[in-house]
Amino acid sequence: MASLSATSLSFKAPSIQSTRISQVLRKPSSFQSISFGGFQSSKSLRLQISCAAKPETVQKVSDIVKEQLALSADTALTAESKFSALGADSLDTVEIVMALEEKFNISVEESDAQNITTIQEAADLIEDLVQKKPAA
Amino acid sequence: MAAPFTLRKIGVPPNSANLTEARRRVFDFFRAACRSIPTIMDIYNLQDVVAPSQLRFAISSQIRNNAHVTDPKVIDLLLFKGMEELTDIVDHAKQRHHIIGQYVVGEGLVQNTGSKDQGKSDFLKNFYTSNYF
Repeated sequence: MASLSATSLSFKAPSIQSTRISQVLRKPSSFQSISFGGFQSSKSLRLQISCAAKPETVQKVSDIVKEQLALSADTALTAESKFSALGADSLDTVEIVMALEEKFNISVEESDAQNITTIQEAADLIEDLVQKKPAA
Repeated sequence: MAAPFTLRKIGVPPNSANLTEARRRVFDFFRAACRSIPTIMDIYNLQDVVAPSQLRFAISSQIRNNAHVTDPKVIDLLLFKGMEELTDIVDHAKQRHHIIGQYVVGEGLVQNTGSKDQGKSDFLKNFYTSNYF
């Protein structure tokens, strides 16, 4: 786990397994169309270029955020909405991360949790952790 | 299943140097408390009484009560007391009715409600301190 966070900041050759490198590639919106489902079966594929997390995950994250921040049911929540824009302070953000930990049965490290500011990032991190977890 | 979380008892660490570190400690404490919630619900059989999200909310509202504090030493002391409380609860040193009364039902014990001295009128404050004002 330590090596993963270390490589997240350096741009080494793509052969090293680093899902954070995909963050740089994420910016062009043309990548959105690549479906994430195609990469799920091959666990040997190290570099994941696809950036869009599954829509169900994004939906579940949005539900938790709405419940935590007590937003009305018809508030439009896009994947790019920032937590701070929705009226969450830093304690709320930590609470949302804890709620996601409980819901998806994952364990988020503190270094990962610092970078979460939008719903999309949260969903992506969840997808990463759910994949990395050994299948029970 | 994520590895079960155990509360490790560390000795008293040195004071936080600045507000940023105190802030980091607050979040670490909050994370430790939230990760202990499944254990707490198991110990005190709270499965039918309360949901984990309600307990998380109770913890965060207690933290928010003191959100206006700016002195790192005061924050450290509050965290120390919070950690003491959390350790007591996880060690089963409390009983079910304590947990339900303090964290589940409404505002809990009357003495603990609200932050001190907010919203009190000046008249009352003077009245409590002395007879002559």
